[in-house]
Amino acid sequence: MKQLVSLVLILVRGERRAVLRGLTLAVTVLAMGVALLGLSGWFITAAAVAGMAGNGILFNVFAPSAMVRFLALGRTAARYGERLLTHDATLRALSRLRIGLLQGLLTRPYRVLERQRANTFLNRVTADIDALDGALLRLVLPALAGGTVIVVASFALWWLVHPGIALILGAGYLLLPTLVFVLGQRIARRPARQAEAAMQASRSRLIDLIAGRDDLTVYGQLQAAADHARNAHARHSMARARLDRIERLTQAALDQTGAGLTAAALGVGAMLVQAGEITAARAAIGVFAALALGEAVAPVRRALSEIGRMTLAARRILPSLEQAVPVGTRHDMPERPSLELRDVGYRPDGSGRRVFAPLTLTVVPGEAVALTGASGCGKSTVLLLAAGALAPSQGAVHVGGAAVGAWSREVLGARIALVAQRSALIAGTIAENLRLAAPDAADDTVWQALEVVQLAATIRARGGLGSPLGFRGAGLSGGEARRLVLARAILKRPALLLLDEPTEGLDEATAQAVMAGLRRALPESAILLAAHRRVEIAAADRCIALDRTES
Amino acid sequence: MSFSVSSHRAAASRDGSRGSFLSLAATLVWPLQAAVIAFVIGGLLSGPESGAVGIAALAFLGLAALRTGLETAAQRDLASAAEARIADLREAILERETRAAAASGIGGPGALAALSCEKLETLRPYLLRYRPARLKSAVVPMLILAIALWHSWAVALVLLMAGPLIPVFMALVGWAAKAASDRQMVEIGQLSDLLVDRLAALSDLRLIGAGGALVEGFAETSESLRARSMVVLKIAFLSSTVLELFAALGVAMVAIWVGFTLLGELGWGSWGGPLSPAMGIYLLLLAPEFFQPLRDLAAAWHDRAAAEAVLDEIDRWQREERPVRLGHGRTGGLDAAPVSLRLTGLCHRGLGFPDIEIAPGARIAVTGPSGCGKTTLLRLIAGLERPEAGQILLSGHALDEDTATAWRCRIGWMPQAPHFLNRSLRHNIGFGDPVRPEVLRAAHLDALLAGLPKGDLTLLGERGAGLSGGEARRVTLARAMHGAPQMILADEPTADLDARTAAAISNGLMGFARAGGTLVIATHDRDLAARMDSVIRLDRSRGAAP
Repeated sequence: MKQLVSLVLILVRGERRAVLRGLTLAVTVLAMGVALLGLSGWFITAAAVAGMAGNGILFNVFAPSAMVRFLALGRTAARYGERLLTHDATLRALSRLRIGLLQGLLTRPYRVLERQRANTFLNRVTADIDALDGALLRLVLPALAGGTVIVVASFALWWLVHPGIALILGAGYLLLPTLVFVLGQRIARRPARQAEAAMQASRSRLIDLIAGRDDLTVYGQLQAAADHARNAHARHSMARARLDRIERLTQAALDQTGAGLTAAALGVGAMLVQAGEITAARAAIGVFAALALGEAVAPVRRALSEIGRMTLAARRILPSLEQAVPVGTRHDMPERPSLELRDVGYRPDGSGRRVFAPLTLTVVPGEAVALTGASGCGKSTVLLLAAGALAPSQGAVHVGGAAVGAWSREVLGARIALVAQRSALIAGTIAENLRLAAPDAADDTVWQALEVVQLAATIRARGGLGSPLGFRGAGLSGGEARRLVLARAILKRPALLLLDEPTEGLDEATAQAVMAGLRRALPESAILLAAHRRVEIAAADRCIALDRTES
Repeated sequence: MSFSVSSHRAAASRDGSRGSFLSLAATLVWPLQAAVIAFVIGGLLSGPESGAVGIAALAFLGLAALRTGLETAAQRDLASAAEARIADLREAILERETRAAAASGIGGPGALAALSCEKLETLRPYLLRYRPARLKSAVVPMLILAIALWHSWAVALVLLMAGPLIPVFMALVGWAAKAASDRQMVEIGQLSDLLVDRLAALSDLRLIGAGGALVEGFAETSESLRARSMVVLKIAFLSSTVLELFAALGVAMVAIWVGFTLLGELGWGSWGGPLSPAMGIYLLLLAPEFFQPLRDLAAAWHDRAAAEAVLDEIDRWQREERPVRLGHGRTGGLDAAPVSLRLTGLCHRGLGFPDIEIAPGARIAVTGPSGCGKTTLLRLIAGLERPEAGQILLSGHALDEDTATAWRCRIGWMPQAPHFLNRSLRHNIGFGDPVRPEVLRAAHLDALLAGLPKGDLTLLGERGAGLSGGEARRVTLARAMHGAPQMILADEPTADLDARTAAAISNGLMGFARAGGTLVIATHDRDLAARMDSVIRLDRSRGAAP
């Protein structure tokens, strides 16, 4: 709950004006609604009294009737404005949330980000942010608006009707629904968590079933996997049934609260009239206001059904929003730094085994060194260590004469580029993808980079720099994507270029041309490449073998 | 939106209607409550009588309790009907996907899981709110109109004018807004997809120093999408504003007519006799309820649109033609003795295969250029697909519905891209049975297990717990050998491996063969093929019969 409050505060603080505008109109709509019903009730009752006494002509009809019409029209207009402004505030706040998430994640260590490429995480992030769109729209704004209107209405009733009625309605409408909400929320916490966990399990078990269908069939495990998924479905049904029951009971409690308070206003009002303390018309105001204030607490039900998901979502998203404090601070890296690994070793997760034997190597500007060895994690890990993305378990990595951790994130980002085995492309045009590395690059420069990787003709045939790519770069073949990513690295003109199996998926001739072009395009960069193929090794000046060690 | 109606579903829809009627009954209690209020206030005007007030207040509370009780019962029925419907659909998806032999056209596992999990949940608000709202908007306004007409034709006229105009105007505005609002739903969906797209690339783009540029680009896109969404919303909200306007004006007009009439200013509108104050108050209390069902229906309309989209998608999925897997799940149909295979006249997917005999203990390599059917052949032998022509005999019995399941019990399967379940390493090898140490040794997994902090309980998520290619291959080998199968089918077992790991896999397979197992290996690896007894060479020129 605390995390949800923190998150809401972050959202509100970011979009203060928009939230305030929305809140003002929400209050206006509720207030006008209560005023409309209260005034109508008073008008009719007072008119009845005047009519019965024969004083109809003396009654000032125009003010109330004009007021009634004004309130009716005003409320409608305010309602339109409220919906528009509250949605605007929500959209802005959510946009900030997404951007904040990206910015916070940018400062996380590499291993954390790695884990978050998984589809389970990505799906959950989407679901979490969607769950939070109700935080402003259906929780905070209605609560604040409702509370404000109840308080204001109580004051008005104190003055217009009677302090007793004002107290009953004010305290009743403020305290009782709040109590119902707090209790309901607490009771619903566990079933909400269970429902969510069961849904996640359902999803992952179904994915396992479908993705592994062939394997499961041959091993006769299909029915077992299906039953496993059914199990999760059943758990979700049970948790869901419990949540529904809690919702029903809270709704019943809220309804009875409203009815009880109306009955109280009716009873107390009538007694006051009979005691001669107030007129019947004023008592009518009390009753109608009691009815109308029910609208102020109606949102509690919706809020209650969503708060479980919102709390869980806030708990997960909040840590990612925090920006980690940068460690390195130096900015004065030389233009052409060299890379030095001194006796570097790495143990993943602090476990016993080393991935490779301690490595010592130096790469000077203008030189290309190929790293060969066992397929899989070892070589990629060395590149990550060189880039400063991972911290070595032993030894040290020096770039430009200082430990890689001493340099600021900005200068590291500007000087070092690591092209991983995956081709990380995004939805957008080819130009957008390429300009991620060099936002100010001119078109000519971009085409030059494409020429280097033998991709210019293909891109031209595809429609030029403006041709779009689908999600995660869909639309290019594996080899084309690979070359595009290399072109992007070339555009950056890094001082230190780290390549992980750069020509994977390319045929011999193209691979050779690409490697040659790469060296020509970046003659002064220090290049370290994890090499698998003869072509890549041949393009390097030196070759160092990575030794695997026994654990 | 048609599905085969099971008795379960018939019961569910029955529950749904009962819930709607109970909800209607709850709504119809209000006129009685309004009568109590009108009675009390009217009574106060004509002369105070102390006793009646207390009773009236209690009566009001009692009626409220009745209303709440009815509504709660209604919600319970509606909720269980909704849950039953959703559970049925989930089960249908699970059932069909289990039996299917090929992927769906709707999308990959992720898309189907999204359909079964999140998207089906969007049916819930629709099933809970729409039906009762529709029933109420058909019945309640008419009833209130009738009551109003009984007492005052003026009030009835106001309601009658406002009422029908609302749907007309809403439709007009809604027509214009619909296209815009469809676009809006797509826009909002796009923003989530866009975020996921950026998140997936974040770690790698940071490594080339492009993280900042990525976030800035996203911020710009996000802002422009937001602005466009607001433009759409401005139009979309107009249709509900029309409803609010007529409702508010309708109530205002009723209040004004009643007030003026009670003052004596107006002499028309009721049937001859004067309007009593109690009646005036009663009419004012009823007027908002005339419009309320329509407002509820408008709110439920949006849920309906979302639900229709999901139901359409399910319909599309249902109507797809999907091949069904061979085998009905019951073992039996084969004798216990080791099976010898005979493949004759096989033809599948435009590829022809030579006639092959595989005796128990044979070691066969299948070679040929990529695309000529090596994987297809292995899949046919495993009974994962039904050949378009030709047959496979298992010691004389045909490989068909009755024998497929029993046959598969005897196969170890090493595909090129195995799927690791989101469970422990132990489960991925033994599928719930305890893992035998000799299997681990034969697959050279001891060293790997010793290095994992949680040993064989390590969870292999979809990321494969960081297993390298070689390690994953060894796990697949262990899985294949674990069930002590008669035959191992391996698809490119040494591809993309360094020499040492390739040798380990090779030795593991040969160890299995030496113990009497049959090997059928599709491979490019010349060394591995050399260790086999016979080589079957496939090429595209082999008769491609239809």
